[in-house]
Amino acid sequence: MNASTGEADVVLSRVRKSFGAVVAVDDVSLSIARGSIVSLLGPSGCGKTTTLRLVAGFERPDAGEVSIRGARVNDVPPYRRDFGMVFQSYALFPHLTVADNVGFGLRMRHVPREERRRLVAEALALVKLEGFADRQPRQLSGGQQQRVALARAIVFKPAVLLLDEPLGALDKMLREEMQVELRQLQQRLAITTVFVTHDQEEALTLSDRVAVMRGGRIEQVGAPREIYERPATEFVAGFLGASNFLDAEVAEPGRVRVGGAGFDVPGAAGVPGTRLRLAVRPERVVLSPDGGEGLEATLRDVIFRGSTVHFYLESAIGPLLAYRQNEDGGDRGLRPGQRVRCSWSPGSAVVVAPLGDATR
Amino acid sequence: MSARGRLFGWGILLVPLAVSVALFVGPLAQLFMISLREPSSTELYGTGWTLANYTQLAEDDFIARIVWRTMWTSFLVLGCALAIGYPVAWRIARMPPRKRSLVLLALLFPLMVSNVVRAYGWVAILGRRGVVNTTLQQAGVIDFPMALLFTPEAVVMGLLTILLPYMVISIANALATLDPRYEEAAASLGAGPIRSFIHVVFPLSAPGVASGALLVFLLTLSAYVTITLLGGPRSKLLVSLVYDSVVAFQWPQAAALAFVLLALALATCGLILAVLRPGRVQGGAR
Amino acid sequence: MSAIPGERAERVGRAITATATVVAFFLVFAPILIVLVTAFSPTEYFVFPPPGLSLRWFEEFFRLDNMRAAFVLSLQVALVSASVAALLGTLAALALARRGGWVAGLLQGLFLAPLVFPTIILGLALLLFYRSVGMPALPGLMLAHAVIGAPYCFRSVYGGLQSLDPALEEAGASLGAGPLRSFFLVTLPLVWPTMLAGWLFAFIVSFGELNTAIFLTGPGTTTLPIEIFSYLQFQGSQLVIAAASALQVAMIVVMVAAIERVVGIGRIVRSR
Repeated sequence: MNASTGEADVVLSRVRKSFGAVVAVDDVSLSIARGSIVSLLGPSGCGKTTTLRLVAGFERPDAGEVSIRGARVNDVPPYRRDFGMVFQSYALFPHLTVADNVGFGLRMRHVPREERRRLVAEALALVKLEGFADRQPRQLSGGQQQRVALARAIVFKPAVLLLDEPLGALDKMLREEMQVELRQLQQRLAITTVFVTHDQEEALTLSDRVAVMRGGRIEQVGAPREIYERPATEFVAGFLGASNFLDAEVAEPGRVRVGGAGFDVPGAAGVPGTRLRLAVRPERVVLSPDGGEGLEATLRDVIFRGSTVHFYLESAIGPLLAYRQNEDGGDRGLRPGQRVRCSWSPGSAVVVAPLGDATR
Repeated sequence: MSARGRLFGWGILLVPLAVSVALFVGPLAQLFMISLREPSSTELYGTGWTLANYTQLAEDDFIARIVWRTMWTSFLVLGCALAIGYPVAWRIARMPPRKRSLVLLALLFPLMVSNVVRAYGWVAILGRRGVVNTTLQQAGVIDFPMALLFTPEAVVMGLLTILLPYMVISIANALATLDPRYEEAAASLGAGPIRSFIHVVFPLSAPGVASGALLVFLLTLSAYVTITLLGGPRSKLLVSLVYDSVVAFQWPQAAALAFVLLALALATCGLILAVLRPGRVQGGAR
Repeated sequence: MSAIPGERAERVGRAITATATVVAFFLVFAPILIVLVTAFSPTEYFVFPPPGLSLRWFEEFFRLDNMRAAFVLSLQVALVSASVAALLGTLAALALARRGGWVAGLLQGLFLAPLVFPTIILGLALLLFYRSVGMPALPGLMLAHAVIGAPYCFRSVYGGLQSLDPALEEAGASLGAGPLRSFFLVTLPLVWPTMLAGWLFAFIVSFGELNTAIFLTGPGTTTLPIEIFSYLQFQGSQLVIAAASALQVAMIVVMVAAIERVVGIGRIVRSR
């Protein structure tokens, strides 16, 4: 649980939801500050969508409390909660025009027609779809439909904006473009936003905070940089970007032995001999010629990936992966079969809770 | 596909097409022609061409009354079928798929029982010595049997027997394929159950409602046996007049009546489609 | 549909739905149930509820020459017309399935038209047509029922063909099968259940059909539904009608069970 900065717009407190024998959301607590954007990140089946639907009110919690703007909403049906939602399939009403779709929420709130028209035009301009008011949803491309869905969700200025894998159906380039636009829009409107995604890049790009979920629980919550650099568990480390996982032994507090080599790891604590799991990002692994300090390894393969070069290594304690930025178009004379030494700066290795541990 | 394959493809169309033209389109065209002929007492029709068969109908008060009765009976049946059928279809659409298929199959079964059998069922229920009357008499509620048959109400009930399953199945299929996300989207925008239904669910079920309505209406117009058995000689509808003309060998008149019936059917179908506008909802299903 | 917390509107909605269901159930099934119950009544006149069970009306039914003849004739007509309908429907479906364009759409409409077209008008048209070309009664009736039944077969086989993976026939072609062999060796084995289902539908429709039969039958060629209708109109022994009706219903049950076995529940319902 995080101490929230500023007023919390959405609070989930020890929420639990099961479907038959399956526990989809298991004792989840999360607090989302006003105006911030939080993503629920995890693989399919981790409970992120269910959590979102609990906030929306499409599911009722079996235990725990859901609050919006300080008020308990467990028993409040969705159409009485103040939120806007963008669905994965957009769910634009096919029998209504774009303008009628966007204005639907306003109409439900009895906003008079003239003002409705004005607000709809504003919202469409905000998502860069001026002039599309009289089109039918089926005439629009996927990206355009997505913008309409967004306009529809924000036009009535809800307290909370919920997004369920909003960019999943778009191709890569469009997705990246929309990520930037979405962030700009959210910042401009300063609307509290929760969104669900399985794409870690998206989560890192868009969010103020990321909640990584697995098996119905939140494994870690934090700012993108924080959870990337300091993952608490092996799962989080592995889910956000690639990671090398190494078994190490404590030599003394702050120092470990990995496969015969010694490394300074500030977070390493415990009695000498304690076994630890370390996570090291491939971009932090430095390769030096054989005979120096560091972990012994043999270079198995060198793969050119455009902006980066990947080095696949085999060491005494298992395979390793190292990245290097493609600064000079070459591989610095490193050839498969060569013996090298791997090392990293003291802050680069993080102690993580191994997979299979109960996390809290 | 090879040229020979393509030829084969269109070639096998010839037989059913020929049959369709010879036994469907052709005879109907001939019927239309006959409706424009003068009547004859010896042949099928006389030698001259005339519009009198139609103009006579337009000037006939009796015909006008029958047409009026036919139309409002049909709309009444349609209204009842919709009012009763939609809630039932709604409930069925919410069932899990397996149960839903079973229920729809159960509804399909009465459709295949001949209309005359079902009309007889109503005779057995509403007749003077039928279920209703004998039960009420035995219970002492009435002394003499009530005349329940040969009333417009009996006709409506008999027609609903036949037509409800069509309406229910049609709407249930449309509702079942509706993406639940639409209802959720409506709720997220502030629409409660009632408004969600009016503004989103019902319009999106329009194709099912339309096809059900068209079917119901068309079948009502031509349900001769039910109308005759349950309505009796005093509740004649347009279709009964067609039959009467045939029995009296008034072929051109029968033909003209038939096409008036057809014209009314098509006009009303057009009206139903214009009101419901099912074409709006493309891509509304999952 | 999703789980949304309850509301007063929901309760009212449920009450309406429950009422409608009861009414619908009564309207749809009551007549048939009454007929079935009456068919087993031992009494002379119509008495409800019947005091016992008896098969006397079924015996009476088979004793009456005209009833028996009508039953047999109905069977004959249904068998022949269903087979012709299946042939026509299958050919049309083969020609039009997976074919786009407005011509195909138009033809599809033509083949499906008898489903919604007022059959009484078709009956009249065929009556006059047959008179003018001198068509004998029985074949004329069979052909009429074939025309009415063909759309059911068309729809059934068409649906089956649409869901057929075109890659299968392409594979057959790549292995050397011409269109005729491809049909018999690849398409037919996969699609025959829909053909059978269509045949069964056409059979049932023909067996109970009235609107064209009423014009096209006469003394000597009377189908069972027409016989029942005449009896009802002229107040014949009503309980024999119950037996006749019960037999018709029994036949339908057998046929529907057969269809279900062959094609499966889901397919029948969706193709309706």
